[in-house]
Amino acid sequence: MTRRSLATAAAAAGIAAMMAAAPALCQDTASRAKSAVKAAARPVPLPRTPDGHPDFEGIWTNATVVPLERPASLAGKEFYTEQEAAENSRRVLGISSWERLGGQAPEHYNMSQYGLDLSQVKVAPTLRTSLIVGPDGRIPPFTPEAQKRNAERAARNRGHQFDGAENRPLQERCLLYASEGPPMTPWSFNSNLQIVQNDGQVAILQEMIHSVRIIPIDGSIRASPHLAPSIRQWMGDSRGHWEGDTLVVDTTNFTDKTAFRGSTAGLHLVERFTRVDSDTILYEFTAEDPATWVRPWTAQIPLTRIEGPIFEFACHEGNLGLANTLSGARAMEKAAEESAKKASK
Amino acid sequence: MNAMGVTRMERNLAALTACAVLFLAVAPAGAHHSFAAEFDVKRPVKLRGTVTKMDWINPHSWIHIDVKDPDGMIVSWMVEGGSPNSLLRLGFTKSALPPGSEVVVEGFQAKDGSNRAVGQFVAFADGRKLFLGGSAPGAHGDSGK
Repeated sequence: MTRRSLATAAAAAGIAAMMAAAPALCQDTASRAKSAVKAAARPVPLPRTPDGHPDFEGIWTNATVVPLERPASLAGKEFYTEQEAAENSRRVLGISSWERLGGQAPEHYNMSQYGLDLSQVKVAPTLRTSLIVGPDGRIPPFTPEAQKRNAERAARNRGHQFDGAENRPLQERCLLYASEGPPMTPWSFNSNLQIVQNDGQVAILQEMIHSVRIIPIDGSIRASPHLAPSIRQWMGDSRGHWEGDTLVVDTTNFTDKTAFRGSTAGLHLVERFTRVDSDTILYEFTAEDPATWVRPWTAQIPLTRIEGPIFEFACHEGNLGLANTLSGARAMEKAAEESAKKASK
Repeated sequence: MNAMGVTRMERNLAALTACAVLFLAVAPAGAHHSFAAEFDVKRPVKLRGTVTKMDWINPHSWIHIDVKDPDGMIVSWMVEGGSPNSLLRLGFTKSALPPGSEVVVEGFQAKDGSNRAVGQFVAFADGRKLFLGGSAPGAHGDSGK
């Protein structure tokens, strides 16, 4: 068996194994809080820390075959049947990530060579047809204020995208990947994270691109208030507390530099971590920003345990692509100038 | 045209639309940066050369090769590939691509005209693909055959 087929078989086996746990992940929004109760009723007790809370420690992946937003073809269908979910997984894993890029990036390298294909890693299964919960399964519409703000931002940037490094996207500059959030959303490769926990804090390291959040945990949000509103941070200010066996993390104090899906610095995020079984954490987030969306929205992303290790992703170390992109833009401008000169003669 | 008045072309169009929807129905495949901004799809290259070193760095690995041009001169090229993290996790080491290896690279040249290219497909000169594109020396538990 080739290494590729071994990896694919391993991924398929992982999906099959996790399908068994999937019913706990496919409850409707109203009953999802009962996940932990169901899990606690299982014959094998969940791992716990010495102070009695669920133990989230380990290395996990949120790689998934399911999109954040539900495609129009599945409108109104929040969950697959187990058979449909298995078929969807086979179909998605049967198309390489590079093939899926298709016309979007015909110049891209073939990810499969580097083990960066979804079929080469363990994916976290779910019966969901979109990570966003609810009958709609999509990010709510922008408010008129957000539409105006986004249009103005786009107009300001138009024609200046390649002026200098500061005009390039944050991830191209290796400052912060869109997937890091918070909220933490799947990335197309190295979509892994490590959780380390003690009785007063939980630390989350995301491989992409090695950011760490250290979250103090207290009895309640009142016991550990957020930083003063004047202090704004790229990843916000996160505070955790326990609601039964669920770790709830409340994050505010964002900046306007990160703009999660068009949000403002006023984004209020609530994340919920629930250990469903020995290999699964159900991660859920609700994003609320009245200046951006007409209503709050919620997504559920299962995290599945992987062996690791996680390696450092020192993005700045060799970010030659940024310099090459800018020198390419300068070369294109020069060529355009020369061609305009020729045309005017 | 069938009884419902649907022509073959319409059926094909419908099938294409369905495929487009299906493609949208999967998790996104993303890249660290725009490859269209860095490389020129109008400048395809096929390079045959000798590896001088490989940079195992993020966000992208870079393979350095010496290529003999038509005049017999040696020209150094840099070839951009994927993040090495997954290769390391899967057991590949620096010995998977030792200096001196003869490789063939198919990709596209940098927009600024420099001797840099994206390595869309990279194979050893005998046809074996690098890393997980096929068996490769240095892979744990893999004979390289």
